[in-house]
Amino acid sequence: MQNKRRTLLKAIGGAGATVAAQPYLSFPAIAQNTPVRVGIIAPKSGIVGTIGECGLRGTQFAVERINAAGGIAGRKVELIVEEETNPKDSIERLRKLVLQDKVDCVQGIVSSGVSLAMGAVAEEMKALLIFWDGTTQDGVKETMPNARYVFRSTDNECEAVMASLLAIKYWKGQFATVAGINPDYSYGRNNMAAFQALLKKFKVDARVVAEQWPKVGTLDLTTHVAALKAAKPDLVFSSLLFADLPIFMRTAHGAGLMDGKTKFVFPGAGFQHTLLKKEFTPEGMIFGHNTLYFASADASPLQRLFVKQYEEKYKDYPHWEADRAYFAMQVYKAGVEAAQKAKNAWPGKEDVISAMEGVKIESLGGPGHMRKDHIAEQTFYQGLTTHKNRYDFATLGQVDRMYSDQLQKPTGTDFWKWIETAQIKL
Amino acid sequence: MTSFFDILLGGVFHAAVLFLVAAGLQLVFGVQKIVNLACGSFYALGAYFGITSVNWALGAGLPPWMFLPVLIVSGILLGAIGPAIEALLRTIYARDEAFQLLLTFALVLMFQDVLRFFWGPNPQQLGNLATEYGRLSIGAFSVSTYNLLVIAASISIAVGIGAFLQRTRFGRILRATAENREMSQALGVNVRWMYTSVFTLGTVLGTVGGALVVPTAAASLDMPVELVVEAFAVVVIGGLGSMRGALVGALIVGLMRAAAITFYAELEILAIYLVVIVVLIARPAGLFGKPIE
Repeated sequence: MQNKRRTLLKAIGGAGATVAAQPYLSFPAIAQNTPVRVGIIAPKSGIVGTIGECGLRGTQFAVERINAAGGIAGRKVELIVEEETNPKDSIERLRKLVLQDKVDCVQGIVSSGVSLAMGAVAEEMKALLIFWDGTTQDGVKETMPNARYVFRSTDNECEAVMASLLAIKYWKGQFATVAGINPDYSYGRNNMAAFQALLKKFKVDARVVAEQWPKVGTLDLTTHVAALKAAKPDLVFSSLLFADLPIFMRTAHGAGLMDGKTKFVFPGAGFQHTLLKKEFTPEGMIFGHNTLYFASADASPLQRLFVKQYEEKYKDYPHWEADRAYFAMQVYKAGVEAAQKAKNAWPGKEDVISAMEGVKIESLGGPGHMRKDHIAEQTFYQGLTTHKNRYDFATLGQVDRMYSDQLQKPTGTDFWKWIETAQIKL
Repeated sequence: MTSFFDILLGGVFHAAVLFLVAAGLQLVFGVQKIVNLACGSFYALGAYFGITSVNWALGAGLPPWMFLPVLIVSGILLGAIGPAIEALLRTIYARDEAFQLLLTFALVLMFQDVLRFFWGPNPQQLGNLATEYGRLSIGAFSVSTYNLLVIAASISIAVGIGAFLQRTRFGRILRATAENREMSQALGVNVRWMYTSVFTLGTVLGTVGGALVVPTAAASLDMPVELVVEAFAVVVIGGLGSMRGALVGALIVGLMRAAAITFYAELEILAIYLVVIVVLIARPAGLFGKPIE
């Protein structure tokens, strides 16, 4: 199975490379004949399996386009895909990709639990590593402020910050009690804490009446919903984002939690957007699509093409992991090509890394750039849900768009201090 | 007051599903003296097969409201794997409990790969079918009708098993075999057939439990292990081999979990196992179990 996948991915790379590479004919022969090898480590199973799958599709779309246009600085791209599982095994696969497969760059990783451990190993190995959705944060504290070889995605808290700002913007004065149901690990805990910190910053006097922390993968949420309902909150904040989210919504609907005037804030719901059917997903809730809202009315031609091809090929609609994967590949491409142009020869790893710092690219979901401190900045989408669409699931009626420099801490800043002191616009 | 009923029903719903699996575990241990860890796998198989059966039935034109009978029938049909598994376990009836645990744990791992092979690695869900039966609302109190049906099904099965064991000829022979296998054999009871029947019934309880729960949850590869952890708390509290113990144990675990989630959400597992420890110290054989000589 693994070999079949590799063969397929190589074929994709090969097919694209047959298109003429006219602008790069001046490269040395060796550079044109050997492909750029990119290792991908992504989850393929478990509760994040579908997320990794969507990311892989984003990477394949990027590689098909890159190879069709002549490759990266004239060299076709070849993918070698490995599975992301637990930190220990995933790090072994990183070593294998770097030492045995001799890849030029490694991309992927969805879990921050894995990326936090893998980042340090990549630095030690001097392996160029670009995370799709993983960070190098311990909680909200950056553990690798001076990373050289590791480039990471935006802070995990961006979506919670944006959802909190929207809740305040739309509903300030309309809620006095809040309840939370968030996954029981640092992501869920920090998101809830960020929400409360922002309420305090904007002087929203709301009392927390219930906090639920189901383990990731809890599939019976009947009692959690009953406990939330018993607390009678005016607003429910939830960072559930895996297979447990549709279960929560169905259970909450069945228990009547969504019948009253309770407001709902779901910063990371976009991962499950097609499973959140209209029958049990109310209109008017704050719903986060992170860095890719597939149905955006003002989507770029690139996004429209991707969504169209995705729908035709997979009978599905993409979420933000496809954008994260596309972004990672484009950042690498832009870095290699900028370094090649500056050097007028095929660049070394150190040249590529320097060129990637500050590079700006157009991703599927909109503009983005890689900060000098190796942390991504991207465009985020959230808004209020509607049922007025052609799908059987809820989409956004009111769409809000923010660039992540408004949502994540600047270089070298403490997250909680930043929330207290930042000039954040509603 | 409505909040109390909401939480109570949440606990009873969880207990209803736990009871079905624990009842299968108890039945098999009571008669065959095998601690069958694979009961969690039967539960997961029931969930996955239930999704496939419902999707097939809907594709064949069956109206969506018929999904509940389809789930129950799929769980019963899946019980057909019982005799094959029992034939494998027959090889270790006379062995030490450690062998039995190892073999049934191996089955758990093997079934996990079977699930992965046939249904893939990602969690599977049944969409919004659970909403098909609507909700029961009385004032501020509201509950999914499907959840009530699962609780009713579980109670019916508990009553049915009780009547079956107490009032039928087969049930009496079964209890006699559980008490004294050699004597039953000497009196002409076909013990091999009896074991196969009991194990298949235990399997069906697990597969029907998995099939019933899936519209409100999801089928995932982690299901077997997660369930076994709670099912064993049920049998330790209720007493290994006791059907009444399974019922009371499931209710205690379900309600303790509901109370913990409501008041101290972080202490969900701790609360359950606190009861387990208290029972183990105060009444090692469980509330309804017989002391082991």
